[in-house]
Amino acid sequence: MTLYIFYFLSFLAVLSAFMVVYSKNPVHSVLYLIVTFFSIAGHYILLNAQFLAAVHIIVYAGAIMVLFLYVIMMFNLNKEAEPHKDAYIKLAATIAGGIFMIVLIGSLKGVEHIENLNTPNQSAGLIKNLGNVLYRDYMLPFEMASILFLSAMVGAVFLGKNELK
Amino acid sequence: MKSLLLLSGLGVGAMVAELINIKRFLFPLVCLGLIATIGVSIYDWNTDIHLFNNMLRLDNFALLFTASLSLITLLWLIGAKKYIETETSISDKYALTMFTLLGAFIMVSYNNFTMLFIGIEILSISLYVLAGSKKNDLFSNEAALKYFLMGSFATGFLLFGIALIYGVTGSFHIDVVGEYCRANAGNIPTMFVAAIVLIIVGLAFKVSAAPFHFWAPDVYTGSPTMVASFMITVVKTAAIVAFLRLFFAAFGYIPGTWQAIISVITVLTMYIGNVTAVFQQNVKRMLAYSGVAHAGYLLIALVALTNLSGGAIFYYTLVYSIATLMAFHILYIVSDNKNEGVGFEAFNGLAKRNPLMALGITVSMLSLAGIPPLAGFFGKYYVFTAALEAGRYKLVILAVIASLISVYYYFKIIIAAYYHKSNKAPIELSPAHRFLYIASIFLLLFLALAPDFLIRWAK
Repeated sequence: MTLYIFYFLSFLAVLSAFMVVYSKNPVHSVLYLIVTFFSIAGHYILLNAQFLAAVHIIVYAGAIMVLFLYVIMMFNLNKEAEPHKDAYIKLAATIAGGIFMIVLIGSLKGVEHIENLNTPNQSAGLIKNLGNVLYRDYMLPFEMASILFLSAMVGAVFLGKNELK
Repeated sequence: MKSLLLLSGLGVGAMVAELINIKRFLFPLVCLGLIATIGVSIYDWNTDIHLFNNMLRLDNFALLFTASLSLITLLWLIGAKKYIETETSISDKYALTMFTLLGAFIMVSYNNFTMLFIGIEILSISLYVLAGSKKNDLFSNEAALKYFLMGSFATGFLLFGIALIYGVTGSFHIDVVGEYCRANAGNIPTMFVAAIVLIIVGLAFKVSAAPFHFWAPDVYTGSPTMVASFMITVVKTAAIVAFLRLFFAAFGYIPGTWQAIISVITVLTMYIGNVTAVFQQNVKRMLAYSGVAHAGYLLIALVALTNLSGGAIFYYTLVYSIATLMAFHILYIVSDNKNEGVGFEAFNGLAKRNPLMALGITVSMLSLAGIPPLAGFFGKYYVFTAALEAGRYKLVILAVIASLISVYYYFKIIIAAYYHKSNKAPIELSPAHRFLYIASIFLLLFLALAPDFLIRWAK
């Protein structure tokens, strides 16, 4: 049963990701992106990481999507505004992306011998364990992330501020 | 620990300075803080502290680079004070500079992949903003946007690589990954190799190594001259040290998986940087390409990965940074606040307009080109020695040819300064700038006298 759900979610995620790239209308792209995010959240639930799934839906499908929609609304993007891309650029992108795909598929060779991948910790994603890890083992990165957000916030205020002269 | 607190405190303190109205004292305060950081690094010497569950490791190597990055930032601040304080948002710029330095500090002392990622992000996000800090200038806006988009893309690769490494080893700790590499040196899984390649892509972007250098000339040319000089020195140093730490502690046990890749990147970087720089008419762009080329020389020490590599990179980055900072500062003064850069003719008659600046640009260019009496020569000498120790003869021969090419474009500026005439008015320097030039020239000459003395520290 879990296996079938996994295949279904993976199929959905890849398909909707393709549709994000292929749809001409930016609003459709954003909607497909929401589907992608939800199917990835489904994967998290399959891995027994409910907290991560919830946060993923709230942050990505909620906050970031609203941001995307705002940007589309403000810039008035539509089918006509889509810039025409050079054929050479398209070709180069296809080759580069294809090679990258081959590298990633090739990297799957021999994964059945890697111990860590075959003995997953089923309770790693539970909120209690996550809290323990986050506030004990990963205290410093967790706190330094606040400096990261602080610098991003200073930057946003700095760039967005209207200069009074 | 002390440097971590000092640098984050300085960043937050600079923000608060706007509120409590002590903006005037911000410059001396930040300078004092940087001097304190250097002092703390010296105080902590030989202690090898592991912080917070081995997230950061303040060994001598990290302390040495913390001190040298603080020194470079201090020199930069003396030159950049005018730029920072001419427009509004003074405290924001100080805060972002300090956050950048904090990111660089994390990048030179991390011992865990999560810290590497957070360090790179703190450094990059502050710099995206600083690159666009000339808000009314279209070039500056373009530089910020380009840097932001490309930088985020590269960070994506880095993260992908880190995730794959976690998948294989089950840990983010560099030591554990290193242990895994040593134990499984014979049969490294393909997934691990793919991870190394992805991490190399992410980090090579940050040191602006070819073929991931395309952003560098545009971003350095577009961003304000002083910010560009900060990016091309501090960021490059931090990124190459991050590279070196990772390879020393972990991937060094399995050289077969990455040595060929880095060698190709090194040669490409040296030749693309130097050959393209020859054709540049814009001095700022030329210096940007020269920065790309220097990333190539630094990568040679990484390919060699001997005991000498750390010391060679320390010496090289210090000397390169001092020379580049001085060159950019002279360019900043000569170009009369023109952000998009000027041609070589702006340097015409500099020897008449201000002999000290002409001497400064000469010493800086000669040092960058690696002409013997100056410190730049010894930087190259030690990097090449490290490579020869590892038996990489072909790489050294290619590097020597590349650095011969570089002599051509560095001399173009010197020739303009001494042999071409100009009827522009003489330039008056403020005492601080005069001090900056004299100190830089002195350092470039003095460091050449005692290279062994410095390199011994980094072992």
